[in-house]
Amino acid sequence: MPAAGRTARGLSRVPERPRDSSRDSSREQRQRTRRRTPRRRKMKFALFSLGSGMDMPLFVFVMVLLAIGLVMLFSASYADSYYREGNSYHYISRQAGFAAFGVAVMLAASAVDYHHYHKLALLVTGVTVIMLLMVLIFGRVLGIQSIAPSEGVAYRWLNLGVQFQPSEIAKFALILLFAHMISIYADKMDTFRYGVLPFVGVLGMFAALVFLENHMSGTLIILALGAIMMFVGGTKPRWFVIGGIALALLLGAYLLLGGKDESGEGGVYQMDRVAGWLDPFGEKSTGPDSNDTWQIKQSLYAIGSGGLFGVGLGQSRQKYMYLPKPQNDFIFAIVCEELGMVGALVIMILFALLVWRGVYVSLHARDRFGTMLGLGLIFQVGLQAVLNICVVTNTIPNTGISLPFFSAGGTSLVMLLGQMGILLNISRSATVERT
Amino acid sequence: MAKGTAEKIRKKAMGLTAALVFVGFGAAAASLFHWQVVRGEELSAKALEQSLRSTALPAMRGSIYDATGTKVLAQSASVWTVVLEPAYLAENEALRRTVAVGLSRILGLDEEELYQETGDRSSYYTVIKRKIETDVRDEINRFKEENGIGNGIRLIDDYKRYYPYGTVASNVLGFTGSDNQGLEGLEVYYESELSGSAGRLVAAKNGFGTDMPFEYEQVVEPEDGYNLVLTIDETVQSIMEKYLAEGIEKFKVKNGAVAVMMDVNTGGIIGLAVQPTYDPNDYLTILDKNLLAKIEALPEGEERDEAEGLAQSTQWRNKAVSDTYYPGSVYKMCVGSMGLEEGAITEESQFTCSGGFRVEGMDDPIHCWKTSGHGSETFREGLCNSCNPWFMHIGELLTVPTFCKYRESFGFTSKTGIDLPGESGSLYHDEADMSFADLMVESFGQNFSITPIQMITACASVANGGYLVRPHVVDRIVDNSGNIVKTADTSYRRQVISESTSRTVTDILKQNAASGTARGGYVAGYRICGKTGTSEKVAKHNEDLAKDPSAQMTYIASYCGFAPAEDPKYALLVFFDEPDGDENGGFTGGNAVAGPIFSAMMQEILPYLGVEVEYSDDEYNEMYTVSPKVVGLSITDAQAALQEQGLKYNIVGDESDWDNVVVEQIPESGSTVPKDGMVVLYTSGYDMDDALVEVPDFSGSGLVNASYLAAECGLQISVNGSRDEGTVVMMQATPAGDKVKKGTVITLTFAEELNTETYVHIN
Repeated sequence: MPAAGRTARGLSRVPERPRDSSRDSSREQRQRTRRRTPRRRKMKFALFSLGSGMDMPLFVFVMVLLAIGLVMLFSASYADSYYREGNSYHYISRQAGFAAFGVAVMLAASAVDYHHYHKLALLVTGVTVIMLLMVLIFGRVLGIQSIAPSEGVAYRWLNLGVQFQPSEIAKFALILLFAHMISIYADKMDTFRYGVLPFVGVLGMFAALVFLENHMSGTLIILALGAIMMFVGGTKPRWFVIGGIALALLLGAYLLLGGKDESGEGGVYQMDRVAGWLDPFGEKSTGPDSNDTWQIKQSLYAIGSGGLFGVGLGQSRQKYMYLPKPQNDFIFAIVCEELGMVGALVIMILFALLVWRGVYVSLHARDRFGTMLGLGLIFQVGLQAVLNICVVTNTIPNTGISLPFFSAGGTSLVMLLGQMGILLNISRSATVERT
Repeated sequence: MAKGTAEKIRKKAMGLTAALVFVGFGAAAASLFHWQVVRGEELSAKALEQSLRSTALPAMRGSIYDATGTKVLAQSASVWTVVLEPAYLAENEALRRTVAVGLSRILGLDEEELYQETGDRSSYYTVIKRKIETDVRDEINRFKEENGIGNGIRLIDDYKRYYPYGTVASNVLGFTGSDNQGLEGLEVYYESELSGSAGRLVAAKNGFGTDMPFEYEQVVEPEDGYNLVLTIDETVQSIMEKYLAEGIEKFKVKNGAVAVMMDVNTGGIIGLAVQPTYDPNDYLTILDKNLLAKIEALPEGEERDEAEGLAQSTQWRNKAVSDTYYPGSVYKMCVGSMGLEEGAITEESQFTCSGGFRVEGMDDPIHCWKTSGHGSETFREGLCNSCNPWFMHIGELLTVPTFCKYRESFGFTSKTGIDLPGESGSLYHDEADMSFADLMVESFGQNFSITPIQMITACASVANGGYLVRPHVVDRIVDNSGNIVKTADTSYRRQVISESTSRTVTDILKQNAASGTARGGYVAGYRICGKTGTSEKVAKHNEDLAKDPSAQMTYIASYCGFAPAEDPKYALLVFFDEPDGDENGGFTGGNAVAGPIFSAMMQEILPYLGVEVEYSDDEYNEMYTVSPKVVGLSITDAQAALQEQGLKYNIVGDESDWDNVVVEQIPESGSTVPKDGMVVLYTSGYDMDDALVEVPDFSGSGLVNASYLAAECGLQISVNGSRDEGTVVMMQATPAGDKVKKGTVITLTFAEELNTETYVHIN
């Protein structure tokens, strides 16, 4: 879609932003910088520099979170890893490898002009859809474990030489496609034909495919991200009211009717999660093999044990097979136990700073595409962090969302770091004061 | 328009960011505050609780020593509990099978069951066998080593209770249950002192139930229990048990028996034998063979279980403190003391027994056991005759209030407080509703129930100068280093009667044992004071009559006495519950049944306890001499030595040459021989067949017959008890049918049947 690309670039040439008088002085320089940028980048590549360097605070926040994440992953995982895998380093060695690779991807991505993704948007979307379909066909329909390994009823993985989760890529594909579409439709976003219909179509398709993988949290994130991008992009608020009602009806029907056997027993596992959320120490929490409520209970035991200042790094008791899979979604509980409330707040503040910086950079992106792409990427991180921490602290029911930069998982980490690389690239051309 | 769009985007993005950060993280932070600060302690306690496994470290239970302090009556030895920890085994199929096969072989358990248990992860600890001994433990350790099993099979320290002397004093000692907790006797009475305090091993475990990789272990060391040193002497106890069992056997006693010996000055119980008894090492087994046979004859089922349970609880019972009985005529020593103390009578007071005592309001007079009456007799004579009317007369003189005052003072209305569980209270008429008839009957010990321990405590006060002592079994409690933790209270409660009254009654009782109705308990040389009792089990009789009008009256035959008379030290009460007269030749009275047993016990115990022998002139005439040492001498020299002592001799073996050397002598040197008795000299090459003779059955023979019977066999007799005319052999120390060497002295205990009770039935 070369035309679209042109349109997008064309749109970006009309960046008349309302500025208050105090900022007028920098306007000139900004315009100068923008014009000069392509030429200078070709001449000289610099990591951080005035002009075409990437945003230092953003980079630092990512690296700090990644470093803390790795340390905590090692601490949280080594006991479980030792007992179940016979090797304390099982998770940390893999995660460290992915992190190294991810940082390389991030740096590489930060050097690739994000405008190239205009052309790739549809391609990425197409490939993602194909991969999602492959998961469903090979995994759910044909049950070929070698291509589409499954864990119970969860069909999330695809093995094409390397094993990864297409749903993680789907999040990126959606953000990319929506940023692309919003930048093309621009002023037509307030119409139903442009601002709602295509978006709902794409979003519905992605959500449906990921939902069929039995990946509830992925579906949730995709729906939320899609909605956020549409909202920011200019879709009329009334459509969100309608969409929200429709979604609530769908969800209600699913929760009430889904998965029940003929006698009306059983029901979807999400209901158990709601029950566990309401009563984390109830009778459903009694056995480690019983259900997710056990995990919530143990998570709260871990958090409670931490108190204000924590039991000390590496000193968690709960990671010794009490808290199931402490390296995954519930890693933050171990953080709370070992580092206490103070440590947990520091990490939450770091996430908040990252989000703030990401949003700041995005809003100062050179064009609408950059803004929307950056916002989508940083909101994904923020949304996942908030939802994960709220789940771990039993603030909301268990959704199964991992904590960015902390939870074990290669696809997720590499994708996240790659996405941060794109954001860093956006920062290179953004009108942000460099440090 | 575009400018407005960008501004809108900025506003929306900032709004969403703010919402995400402040609402999202704000809510999470609020949650964190709730869980970590508000409920932090509660949750952390719960988390700790689930991760700590506490194992009890048993304390070693204290030992129980007899009065000598050297003989251990009860002690604990290390044993082990075998425990499976499925957390270490469940994952490994081959290991599970190995463990199941190995342990089923060593412990004799079902292999398949063990296999299932190794896979049952719902349990952290599965106890598969308790109280295994050292050899089995070693075998398990070897098995673990051979198969390289570290965790998964655990041996936990435990203790097992042993009673090295078996049945000796079992009814006093009691026994412990499977958790080493006292269940009966001293074991339960002194539970807190004996048990010590168990320690705890608290260790951190992970969610699998296996050990944490880091050290978290807290050990609270167990504190071993204290040891008990009893007042009971094992030697005395064994002697008492031996004769009590013999009495039961001989007199066909149907309902058990008790013998209690007390140090009259301290209240310490020196021996307490009870029948039926049991072996505390195996307390569930019924020792009474007849009873066991009867139970086993019952069809399996509830009835049999019930009978078995009843038999068990009966044999565990300490009849001396838990059962009550009518003291009968033994009580007269107390009533006589009351009369003397109050000055209502003197030793020489006269009363005429007409054979009965008419009580107003009763159709029949209350008879004396001698229905023809004793005629005019002094109090001394009355007590020695065990004359019922004399004591009714005392009761009449005392009146109800004084009688009740002394009854209480003697301790018959309250428990003695002995340190044994299950002490029963007594049953008596309250002063307020005690009729004259009640008083009359109580005056000679009928119609009120007391425990044997109450009786001997009262007897001790009659003997020791009037002081009521505190009966006790434990002399002192000591810790493992030998420090005394607690000593028994040997002070007396109160003085019941004066020293002079005590001395007077003692003197009368001495005469009674020597020549009165209590002759059966006489032991030459030991100044025995005694009183017999033949209590009627009236309540039971009436009950039986309702079922079977021809039911015979049943009795408790008892003998209570003390020695030596001039300075009483030891009191002994022997009682047999329901000697079966129909089966044993008509012996039901205290003198005939309990007397000889009392005598036999005293004969053996008093020398052991160091009471000096002192013969009266009469006794000296019938005395025994000590056999001189003649082994090694020639026959000629031996004969001369014996003649010097006034002893005869007899030779077995080669007597052709009087220079032959004596190789053996019976009785052996140092043992007693009747004054004009004989020593059999054995020379080299004697024929065993010639030397051995079979002991005849002396029972029922009078003294003359017994002597003749013994002489015929080449045996000699030693007379115990009364030599009076009419007495017969009640017991022989060597059982009939035994083969002994010629010249052996057989101790025979003589007594006569004197049923000194009257037949009085009060409704």
